[in-house]
Amino acid sequence: MDPIIALFGIIIGGTLVGVCVHFIPCSAVGAMSATTGIATGPTMLASGAGMMGLMAAAYNLDNGLALMLASGAIASMLMIALTSVVANITYAFGVGVAPTSGQSEYDRFTGFEQKQCLTPGTDGHGIPTQSFISGVIGAAMGGIGGVLVFYSVYTLISPSIAQATAIAMAGIIAVGIYIINGVLPAYTLVGKTEGMTDEKFRTTPKTLYSCLIMSTVSGIFIYAASVVI
Amino acid sequence: MLISRNGKLTSHHYYTNRNVYRVHAGFNLHMEPITIFAVALAGALAILAGIFEDLESDTGSQSNPNSQVQLAPQIGHLHRYFNKAISGEPPAYGFWSATGATVAVLLQTRFLSGFGEMHSVILASIFGALVAASILSFYAIFAHISRTASMRPFKQPLQLDVILSPLPLFFAYGFLAVLCITLISFITNMVLLNPFPVPLIALLFGITLGTIGSSTGDIHYGSERLYQTFIFGSGIPISKQGDIDVKAEYGFRNSIDTPYFTSRFGGPVTGLCFGAIVFLDNWSRLFNFAGKWTPILLGIIIIILLFIINLSIEIYTRNRFNEFTKE
Repeated sequence: MDPIIALFGIIIGGTLVGVCVHFIPCSAVGAMSATTGIATGPTMLASGAGMMGLMAAAYNLDNGLALMLASGAIASMLMIALTSVVANITYAFGVGVAPTSGQSEYDRFTGFEQKQCLTPGTDGHGIPTQSFISGVIGAAMGGIGGVLVFYSVYTLISPSIAQATAIAMAGIIAVGIYIINGVLPAYTLVGKTEGMTDEKFRTTPKTLYSCLIMSTVSGIFIYAASVVI
Repeated sequence: MLISRNGKLTSHHYYTNRNVYRVHAGFNLHMEPITIFAVALAGALAILAGIFEDLESDTGSQSNPNSQVQLAPQIGHLHRYFNKAISGEPPAYGFWSATGATVAVLLQTRFLSGFGEMHSVILASIFGALVAASILSFYAIFAHISRTASMRPFKQPLQLDVILSPLPLFFAYGFLAVLCITLISFITNMVLLNPFPVPLIALLFGITLGTIGSSTGDIHYGSERLYQTFIFGSGIPISKQGDIDVKAEYGFRNSIDTPYFTSRFGGPVTGLCFGAIVFLDNWSRLFNFAGKWTPILLGIIIIILLFIINLSIEIYTRNRFNEFTKE
């Protein structure tokens, strides 16, 4: 990969990571079954999924970028899908509530009425189908973004240092850029989102700009450190 | 990773030979019996790691239910829960796992000549996990003291036995969780041949484990254990938040009793989730019927199956709980 293309890879990958957080249904108060979404911070869940994507993609380092991106996306999607299913199992059998959106009248995909299963005084609970699908889409974007950053950094630094060190360094930098860009949407989501059906999804352009700026600065620094110097 | 599977090569030789071996052996490498065994072992260890991680976080009221323990004194409920959350579980477990794995990798090279490869890995992992669990315990003490100090305007007392009595539990659960993660990281690097170094794998697994513990098992603690007086089958209304149970069957409720409740559902469910992720991710790489893209195809099939399971749970719960919530 050409160094300039690798620089754009870091920028696009970092921006994708930032935008993906808007798709992942999360809420801190979800742990008390008080709002819709997986019961943790959006950044944290996106990071967890991205890390699994990086791990899976690293196996395919010798097999080309396309397979790496696909395996990263699949591993991230698998992580979010399994977490959603198991969280819903906990809501169903541990708490005794049905997955319900607090903001939608009807589920966009199944058409189920949401208000009839809503505990009074709460803003939804569990992960309904629309949030599940949104989360899986977000995880795919996050996985692709994280792996793109990893591969771009790896191609930038691999000519100058040993392969094992380059893999480790690229992995650490990818984790760093992932978490930086994952944190930025926290300022627009404020700890809670139902995914792409949430009203806060309209604030995605703000995240897009901030992540674009952040990823560009990071990318230029990495490019300068590995190519120019 | 410093030593290969035969225990004779240095790190440089290891990485060089690994790539050569992969090129010549192709995908048949993944069908070796030891690889299949490693996939199963990693999955089993991941189940244990998930269980212990969730119980550790529940004992210390870490993660999101912590907000309820923090709110309780503000609405007049003085309690005897341990309250130690300062960072989220994912960064915390990423840090502890990476610390344990780093110490283990350093010690493994020292132990190698005396104990052989497998035993050196196990022994070094135990020492690494001990170091990580010690850091966790210190962190827990200071976090509890500072959190309780911030509740001074609401007359929340700082009690010595509340600090000291759950400490062995944190230490034990934290030790076991980090030990499992360190061993999974060694397996992933040495047998499953992931190119990332062991400490980085531990960091990645630690972040994922913390995420899953925070997402699944803590619901059982936050929605049920802290609010057992509320009827089963409803979420906790926003207006009731902080109104946690502070009385036990006898005297005040404390954090040592929490795993007694959450180990029956929350802990195993967390273990199931993390174990399934680690196992299914590795398992999909064991097959070769569609060339390089086999794991991708299998992954898509698993995700579609999970979608169907999720939909089934939604339909089941709507039929099962609908009548109750209508009231």
